[in-house]
Amino acid sequence: MFRPFFYALRDRGIMVSPTAFLRLQRALAMGLVQSLDDLYTVARTVLVKSERDFDAYDQLFAEHFAEAVHSAEDSVDLDQELRDQIEKWLKKPKKPDASVEPGAEQSERLSPEELEQYFSDRLNDQKEEHHGGRKWIGTGGVSPVGHSGQRPGGMRIGGISRNRSAMQVALERRYRDYSRGATLTRGQVGEALKRLRHLMPSGPRDDLNIDSTIYQTMRNGGEIELVFDRRLADRLKVILLIDNGGWSMEAHVPTVQALFNHARDQFQNLDIHYFHNTIHERVWNDPERVHHPIPFTQLLARDPQSRLIIVGDASMAPEELLHAGPSFTLRRVSSQAGIERLQALARAYRHTVWLNPLSPSLWPYGQTINMINKIFPMFSLSLDGLEQAVHHLMHS
Amino acid sequence: MTESQPLHRFTSASRYILDEELAKIVNVSMALELPLLLKGEPGTGKTRLAHAIAESLGMPLIILNVKSSMKLVEALYQYDTLTRLNDSRFADSSRDVSCIEDYIRMGKIGQAFTADQRVVLLIDEIDKADTDFQDDMLDVLDQMQFDIMEIDKTVTARHRPVVIITSNAKKDLSDPFLGRCNFHHIAFPEADMMTRIVAVHFPDLDQQLIEACLSAFYRLRELEGVEKKPATRELLNWLRALVVDPDVEAANLTTGQLPYLGILFKKSADLEMAQAQAPA
Repeated sequence: MFRPFFYALRDRGIMVSPTAFLRLQRALAMGLVQSLDDLYTVARTVLVKSERDFDAYDQLFAEHFAEAVHSAEDSVDLDQELRDQIEKWLKKPKKPDASVEPGAEQSERLSPEELEQYFSDRLNDQKEEHHGGRKWIGTGGVSPVGHSGQRPGGMRIGGISRNRSAMQVALERRYRDYSRGATLTRGQVGEALKRLRHLMPSGPRDDLNIDSTIYQTMRNGGEIELVFDRRLADRLKVILLIDNGGWSMEAHVPTVQALFNHARDQFQNLDIHYFHNTIHERVWNDPERVHHPIPFTQLLARDPQSRLIIVGDASMAPEELLHAGPSFTLRRVSSQAGIERLQALARAYRHTVWLNPLSPSLWPYGQTINMINKIFPMFSLSLDGLEQAVHHLMHS
Repeated sequence: MTESQPLHRFTSASRYILDEELAKIVNVSMALELPLLLKGEPGTGKTRLAHAIAESLGMPLIILNVKSSMKLVEALYQYDTLTRLNDSRFADSSRDVSCIEDYIRMGKIGQAFTADQRVVLLIDEIDKADTDFQDDMLDVLDQMQFDIMEIDKTVTARHRPVVIITSNAKKDLSDPFLGRCNFHHIAFPEADMMTRIVAVHFPDLDQQLIEACLSAFYRLRELEGVEKKPATRELLNWLRALVVDPDVEAANLTTGQLPYLGILFKKSADLEMAQAQAPA
């Protein structure tokens, strides 16, 4: 039962070492695992070394040990958007409402199927948050769905239960936000971008290297030889171009702004410009793309060692990318097709990446995404994607 | 765990609210004799946990605060050459100048190894140190011994300490490091848990006020564009300020009048953003 689990974890990219696996066996032999709940916690603690793998672990655990528990434990598979909405309603829990008398419904326990039906009915007709009461999804109260209430046999949604089974916990996917594929949060951005920092020796040789001084002095037979190094300084230049127009970018702009703000502290040379869809004869210094235009030629003329990072969904009407001349959709006359300008950028800068907020599974379906992907190495705007992009920028 | 094992189990300490999962993890790590690596955003109680374990098990707590420039040897021992030079020149101390051992001072890990009883060793913010430090340190913790080169002596732990290591995830830790630790990530406490934490610190506080504060607190954590979200410590300090101000009433807080926001937001940009977004 455990060996397949071990290989399943490894197949999913959770690099469980054999040592860790033996350690789990030791924990089992020592009697530290008495129940499935124990197994869930102990195995995760011993085997999984990053919170980014917790979500995958949860899913695998649920898949793998589901036979060990009754299948009735399956949670309702909620649409993410709906889940977010409900979580919002449940964020401000109230204490059980004493004014609501537990009625006859208290005693009638719903079957799992009935409960699921009740829940989806409420999802259909509920439009706002509720606290207390006997019907709606909310907190307090005696309705069968919600939390911090007093309905035995009900379905708990959100909040903290005192007695969750391992399977319920695993199915809750409470670590979804940390998972490797998850869209970046502000906090993670800073962490990932720190790896862009690139210390290189520069400036005058005025830093005394004591270790080499001693070594060289010994080699000199005791005659003192001072060894000086250049100081380490951050010399990395970064040009960030962000597509801040269009609905598919909209949700990501705040995150990307945070990315910029974090990055600002990190480099002395950081230029941030905005564009829409693709790059034409100018980009802008102001997010509104009105006041401070920068001509494209100027964008090409920076230090060729600069790292060029473009953030955008790379999605547009193909003609916008491919055609020079007047555009039908925008009041713009372009002397050069967008794609040619992108190619020029890729030639001008050796180290370039394109970060795409769209899920990589969608990329094959976007015509312009494919074209741009051929020009710039494209990575997803997720923690993993950003890490790969940073690695690419530092080692290409 | 077998009955015969005289192992103390960590339960909970007077001022620390512990969730069951974490208690299990601590106990498993102690039983397997592995360091426990705790990650999580600041304010999730990583450091407090080490204090709580020490308190609960009645063990002394030794804290190694990791600094970015720190060398491992500093955490193990220091050879106090300056004092020895001084002694040799003025010869007015009780120490024996010819005995180097008299000038060896134990660092935090050294102290944990040579202590008379089992201790809790907290290695705080390991991610500040470089990778070499981390890997070398784990060798030491693995073997439970280190060499003092100057006197050609090996220090072996008299009692294997309970090792808790914290990380704010500023840097990724190396695979060998992770391989030798148990791991847990402490999520930021949800409102329910936070209510219990607050209750431990303010047992007599008006329930309505606590609820109003917590709801405001979680609302403020969700504000757009805030870089350093207020954490548990800030919440407790904020409550402390609100409690002593006679003008503060729960009703005012719920209508969005939030005094002393500067306690919650330490960065001026965050504070401005919070003030702009919170209804006046």
